[in-house]
Amino acid sequence: MSEASSSNGQHGRPEATRVALLGPRIAAGVLVIGAVFLIFQALQIQQGAGYSVVGPGTMPLVAAIGLLVLGGVFAVRTTLMPDTDLGVTAAAEEQVTHWATIAVIGGLLILYAVALNGFRLGSFQVPGLGYIVATTVFLPAAAWALGSRAVVRNVVVGVVIAVVVYFGFTEFLGVRLPGGLLDGVLP
Amino acid sequence: MEVLGQLAGGFATALTPENLLFAAIGVTLGTLVGVLPGIGPALTVALLLPLTYNFQPVGAFIMFAGIYYGGMYGGSTTSILLNTPGESSSVVTTIEGFQMAKRGRGGAALATAAIGSFVAGTISTIAITLLAPIIARAALAFQPADYFALMVLAFVSVTALIGRSMLRGLISLFGGLFIGLIGIDVTSGQERFTFGVPELLNGIDVVVVAVGLFAVGEALYVASRMRHVKEEIIPVEGSLLMNRDELKRSWKPWLRGSAIGFPIGALPAGGAEIPTFLSYTVEKRINPRAPWGKGAIEGVAGPEAANNAAFSGVLVPLLTLGIPTSATAAILLAAFQVYNLQPGPLLFQNSGDLVWALIASLYIGNLMLLVLNLPLIRIWVKILQIPRALLYGAILVFATLGVYSASNSLVDVLIMYVIGVLGFFMRRYDFPVGPMILGVILGPLMEKQFRTALQVSQGDLSIFVTRPISLIILLIAGVAMVAPFVPRLMGRGRRLTVGSGSED
Repeated sequence: MSEASSSNGQHGRPEATRVALLGPRIAAGVLVIGAVFLIFQALQIQQGAGYSVVGPGTMPLVAAIGLLVLGGVFAVRTTLMPDTDLGVTAAAEEQVTHWATIAVIGGLLILYAVALNGFRLGSFQVPGLGYIVATTVFLPAAAWALGSRAVVRNVVVGVVIAVVVYFGFTEFLGVRLPGGLLDGVLP
Repeated sequence: MEVLGQLAGGFATALTPENLLFAAIGVTLGTLVGVLPGIGPALTVALLLPLTYNFQPVGAFIMFAGIYYGGMYGGSTTSILLNTPGESSSVVTTIEGFQMAKRGRGGAALATAAIGSFVAGTISTIAITLLAPIIARAALAFQPADYFALMVLAFVSVTALIGRSMLRGLISLFGGLFIGLIGIDVTSGQERFTFGVPELLNGIDVVVVAVGLFAVGEALYVASRMRHVKEEIIPVEGSLLMNRDELKRSWKPWLRGSAIGFPIGALPAGGAEIPTFLSYTVEKRINPRAPWGKGAIEGVAGPEAANNAAFSGVLVPLLTLGIPTSATAAILLAAFQVYNLQPGPLLFQNSGDLVWALIASLYIGNLMLLVLNLPLIRIWVKILQIPRALLYGAILVFATLGVYSASNSLVDVLIMYVIGVLGFFMRRYDFPVGPMILGVILGPLMEKQFRTALQVSQGDLSIFVTRPISLIILLIAGVAMVAPFVPRLMGRGRRLTVGSGSED
């Protein structure tokens, strides 16, 4: 399917001209479906509120239709009239992408944000761990996921950044950060 | 002269110890982030924006201007020693700069970049000083229809002239327009694209978008490739000074680069990519005997000067018309909005003190950067040796901090992560992110001007073509839209392929 290489790719180095368009095709599909959804959303905006020549719904409709048209053209450029440039870029990306790293970092980020802030479960507020604890854990964990094995150094850096930022922000910049677990201990 | 009096007043403000300190912090931070691959001035200003809510605007803007300039100086270091352009406008510098570094003249390449940036920055700042008040006065005649046309021009130029594909640029732009529309419409009080989520009623802050796209998107992108792509740092050997021959070959390209960069940057169809390529081509034609491809110093001196001059030029439409023409300028516009200042012709009348202090700080910042960069270059190079895993982990920590400290809202942080994932895929499939930032910031302003213009004309769309100013600007926009296709139509289809680094 996406292996279609251009004519000069047969001799020499085929990987240099490999074309992969599956990813862009998915992107085009998401774009078109999203744009149709946005058009319906835009049509629901009430136009008549107050006197004005151009109502609040006009620009949303323009933006949504624009996205649909552009998404459509992009879909054509990934199927019927393939954009070779893009296909080659995507193929090169595919070869070096390590999806597991992305997934782990994404998961760590969500855990980090939740640990920082706490979250609401029904009517029950689950408290967070606070800035210092969450950051001290997150930074070495993220560095590990990114391939660093110098655990002790990373933990030290994590603690230093966490403590410096926490006190810098709360004491000097007047920005509140959550104390969390250390609430009773911190000044 | 009136201008000189105002500039002197600006210097009086900018030279107070407090503001000098802000300038020093700004240029140091700017150089730091410029040196670090993957984060640029746009991200830094976006991250610092929430912290400066309690600052005096003058101090904050002097710092931002320092970051803006410092980012450019630092960016050349990465291009020359790492062969990775920190921003798309440094792509050209890598061509000859990296070759010079490999041949042991890295120090000279860095020096010609730094001095060239200083020369170009100073010339451009003088040009800003003289030009900006004149344009601001002329712009008083502009009406909503004209502003609408100008914004269309800014959109067109950023999407058509930057990046490898106009289609992907336009998709990015319209995505930005969509994000900018989320929230309650100020004029009518109607909810738009809020999908029943109460946190979306106030819209998505531009800081959230910028941090998501630039920081998280970039970090995810680097994370995805970390296991396969290794980078090579060339150590700086030998003298950090240029020899007499290199100096002789550099000074003309500096001046030519400045002359090319400033006007193109100052047009509302600005950006710093075109001038760098143009300067490279011009130097190649003027000096055919230089060792092109093997480390020709002209190919570093010219484009670096053009880059810096164009960046300064971008400040002209930003300050006088309120039109940003690059991602960083868009963030600066957002910074003005935080302080309830609207850049445009009235800014010079209402906040003259601030504007002139800002312009004066550009002179000071440039000088500071030269002092900071030439002797300390070895220290900046050390920064390149920070382990990548730790660096990108820390970028994620600071990105989260920037958004969380501004709103204390978990939802905002999660939205920022989602935009980061979007940024990752955009980076991967070579969609430029600059147009999206511009769409988020300029979209709502454009809608306001569009509605006001039609209010004035009572719904008659012809107002955009019957006003001469607006008509001319729209025609230029049309030309800018078609221009990239002309060489291809004429058969000489060798396009300039621009790398997909983040546009800053």
